[in-house]
Amino acid sequence: MVRAFVVGGTAALVALGLLLGLWASPPDAYQGDYVRIMYVHVPAALASYAAAAVACGAGALYLQRRQPLFDAWARAGAELAALFSGLTLLTGMIWGKPVWGVWWAWDARLVTTAVLFLLYVGCLLVRGLADDPERGRRLSAVVAVVAFLDVPLVHYSVVWFRTLHQGPSISLQGVKVAPEFLVPLVVNALAYLALLGLLLAERARLARLEWER
Amino acid sequence: MRAWRRVTALARKDLLLEWRGRDALVPAASFGLAVLVVLGLVWGGSPEAAPPVLWLALLLASVLAMGRSAEREDEEGTLEVLVLYPGSREDLFWGRWLALCVLLLALGAGLWAAQVLLFNAPTRNSTTLLLVGLLVAVGLSAVGTLLAALLQHVRAGRLLLPLLFLPTTVPVLLAGVRLTEAATSGTPAGPWWGVLAAFDLLFLLVGPGLFEVAVEG
Repeated sequence: MVRAFVVGGTAALVALGLLLGLWASPPDAYQGDYVRIMYVHVPAALASYAAAAVACGAGALYLQRRQPLFDAWARAGAELAALFSGLTLLTGMIWGKPVWGVWWAWDARLVTTAVLFLLYVGCLLVRGLADDPERGRRLSAVVAVVAFLDVPLVHYSVVWFRTLHQGPSISLQGVKVAPEFLVPLVVNALAYLALLGLLLAERARLARLEWER
Repeated sequence: MRAWRRVTALARKDLLLEWRGRDALVPAASFGLAVLVVLGLVWGGSPEAAPPVLWLALLLASVLAMGRSAEREDEEGTLEVLVLYPGSREDLFWGRWLALCVLLLALGAGLWAAQVLLFNAPTRNSTTLLLVGLLVAVGLSAVGTLLAALLQHVRAGRLLLPLLFLPTTVPVLLAGVRLTEAATSGTPAGPWWGVLAAFDLLFLLVGPGLFEVAVEG
C-alpha cells in the first residue's frame, strides 16, 4: 500500500516535471529550446551527488557494523551514482554542443563529474571482480568512502587550476535564473530526488534478496 | 615491540628487498623516462612544458612501483605471518607507506634530473621543489599503499589500479605542476600548498583505518 503510494507519487512528480519542462517553460532568450535540457541535466547531477553520499554513508556503516542492510544501500548508491553521473555527462554534452559550440569544456564541474563517474565505475568493478563476494562488499565500501571524500578536493583543485591560469572561458556562475525557469527546475530536481530514493530502495531490496538466496 | 619499531622494521624490509631485487624502482624509472621522452617529443622540449611532463611521468611511473610491495608479500605468503604478529595492523600501513615514500622520492629525484637535462628546465629554488616532492610522495604513497592492498585480491587488480589511482590523485598532479611553475618562474603559489597539505592529511587520516579493512581475511 505504502509502496504503491510512493511509486504513484514519484511517477506523478516526474510527469509534472516533464510537463513543466517541455510545455510550461518558455524557451530561453539565448539558448532557445536547449534550455529544456537543463531540467534533466541539473537534477541528474544533484541525484548523482546524493547517490554518492548514500554510497559513502552506507559503505562506512557497513565497514563498522557488517550488516547486509548497509551493504545493500551502499551497492544501490554506488550503482546509481555511476548511472546518474553518466547521465549528467551525457546530457551536458548534448546541451554543450549547440550552446557552447563544443561537446566538452575543461570546466571544473565537468571534470569533477567525470572523476565521480570513473571512481564509482571503479567501485562497481572492484565489487564484481573480487575473489569472493564478502571481500567485494568490503572493498567496494572502501572505494565508495575514498571517492566521496576525494571529489570535493578534485573540484576545488580544478577550479583553481583553470582560473589562476587563464580565466574559465565559460562559467555558469553569472547566470541568474528567472522564476519561469526556476519553478520547472525545482520541480524536476524534486522529481529526480524522489526517483533516486525509489530506485535506491528497490535496488537495496533486490540486493538483500540476492544476499539471502 | 613499539609501534615505530614495527613500522621502521617493515619499511626496512621492503627497502632491503627492493635494494636486492630492484624490481620496482628500475622498471618504474625506465617507464618514467620513456614517458618523459615521448611527451617531450610530442609537446616539444621547451622549459614551460617541463612541470606538467615531470609530474605526469612521476604519477604514471608510481603506478608501476606501488603494487610491488603487496605483490611480493603475496608471492611469498608473508602477509598472513605479518598479520599474526602482535600489534596494530595500522603499523603495516605505515611501514609500507614509509618504504613507498622513500621509493617515490628516489624516483622523483631521478625524473627531475632527467627533466632538467631533457627540457633544459631551470633549477632555481630546488629546496622548495624538494619540499613539493616530499609532500607529493607522502600523498601518493598513502593513496598507493591503500589501493595496492585493496586490489590485491581482485581479479585484474593491476589493471584497476590506474583507473582508481589517476582520478583520485588529480589534486596532487595539479598542485605539483603549479607549485613547480611557481618555484621556477616566480609566479604566485596561490592555494596549492593548502591543496597538497589537505590531500596528504585526508589520506593519512583515512588510509590506515581503511587499509586495516582491506587486509583482513
